[in-house]
Amino acid sequence: MGASRTTKSEDITTLDWGKVRFFWAEVAQNFTRNLTMALTAIGTVAVSVVLLGTILFFHDSFELFMKQVVGQVTIAAYLKDKSPQSAIDGTMRVMKSDPRVDTVTFISKKQAMDALRNRLRGQMNLDVINTNPLPDALVVHPIDPADAASIATRLRGLPTVANVTYRSEVTEKLLRIESVLGAVGFGIVALLLAATALLIYNTIRLTVFARSREIRIMQLVGATRWTVRWPFVFEGILTGLTGALIGIGLLDAAFHAFAPKIAIDLPFLPFNFTVVPVGTIAIELLATGAVVGMLASMLSVSRYLRAS
Amino acid sequence: MIVFRDVGLVYPNGVHALSNVDLEIGRGEFLFLVGGSGQGKSSLLKCINREIDPTSGCVEVDGVSLLDLPAAQIPFLRRKVGVVFQDFKLLQQKTVWENVAYALQVTGASSRDVVRRVPRMLELVGIAHKAKMFPYELSGGEQQRNAIARSLVNNPLILLCDEPTGNLDPETSNEIMALLARINAKGTTVVVATHNQSVVDRMRRRVVRLSNGRIAHDQERGHYHIGLG
Repeated sequence: MGASRTTKSEDITTLDWGKVRFFWAEVAQNFTRNLTMALTAIGTVAVSVVLLGTILFFHDSFELFMKQVVGQVTIAAYLKDKSPQSAIDGTMRVMKSDPRVDTVTFISKKQAMDALRNRLRGQMNLDVINTNPLPDALVVHPIDPADAASIATRLRGLPTVANVTYRSEVTEKLLRIESVLGAVGFGIVALLLAATALLIYNTIRLTVFARSREIRIMQLVGATRWTVRWPFVFEGILTGLTGALIGIGLLDAAFHAFAPKIAIDLPFLPFNFTVVPVGTIAIELLATGAVVGMLASMLSVSRYLRAS
Repeated sequence: MIVFRDVGLVYPNGVHALSNVDLEIGRGEFLFLVGGSGQGKSSLLKCINREIDPTSGCVEVDGVSLLDLPAAQIPFLRRKVGVVFQDFKLLQQKTVWENVAYALQVTGASSRDVVRRVPRMLELVGIAHKAKMFPYELSGGEQQRNAIARSLVNNPLILLCDEPTGNLDPETSNEIMALLARINAKGTTVVVATHNQSVVDRMRRRVVRLSNGRIAHDQERGHYHIGLG
């Protein structure tokens, strides 16, 4: 009795197959204890993942389209006539050093006239004009199309610049559409994830109640809180992962069945399916399923343990 | 081994379960807690393995004040304190062997340890030959032996028994008490809360009578009716 007596197993920290088997048996028991509820939770995760994946897919596709269209936004700064070369160089330097600016190209009046001649060849004969009324210009490409307006304002304030134009209305409308669609999509996804988490939370809660006798015995014989928690947390992760895998399978089937048809039958839709990173979306969905399952189950079992 | 200092316990519903309890239980002692229903016997036992916290006073177990024990340490306290209940609290879907092994497995014991210690424990309580049976296939006495084996498999210093013979016939009750006496003889401190007059009177161990949550009488080699005239 006393000092010589040990309450801890000598090799308590050793991981052996017996322990692994015991742990997974506990997880499996959790799963099968409320099979109907577990399957319902998995089904709900799958449905959520299908919707989430669809939203992500269209969002990514639209975003790529936006990058292609909006990425073409250029700002043209027409320079004052007879501006000295040193002043033009100074303006170029200022714009090149602007962190929002990607490229600055100088188009001389001659280059502009040549380009105009080429564009109108066969439609209009510009040889009849003896003088060149076109001004020198700077063509500025912003890194982020959203900065076009502020860069234009800055250009207008420069002494060599006479006038500035850019496709402001189109750019801003597209950006506004993107941000509204993004916010709506995010809202729908957040609601879906909350609903999914709530269902997993309740499923685990039912399992916890169904196993309350075991939990009580575990606590009485000296199991730590994490020993009690782990099988339930794994149950949550497995529910999330299984649901996500089923959802991804359904999405994959739907993608192969419908994407080519949409691309052919509805070519006016601003989507580009071929370049969407499907693999990344699948990984995001799997991770989302696992994390939602883990957090919901941890919350559920921790709440029960606190109350007991 | 177990010390109660001026312990009081008031449940949230206002019931005073324990009042001014001062009690010392020595290492290796065998003690009966007696008293009618609702006099505080189970509440006193629950204070020892920190199932509940007293509202006043202090409980010490093996030199450690439970008042200062962090929540994370409670599982390790409980490995020192085995508990046996009137209704056995066995897992019906597990075999006799698995019920005992469960107590080791959930405390992180290796499978080698489980295989070594479970048969020994079943041998000790006399049901080794029923290892593969399920609790519902056993008699009440055998189920209680299974529960005792489970509570002992982690080598606790203390064994708390809450009405361990409450569901058993007199002969089986005597067998269970004889088993508890054997366990006590090996050095485990045993505290038994009971209504079973015959076993208390026959064993003549220390008897503490609780009345309205207070210690009314405390006698070495006592009998069930101490303090009742």
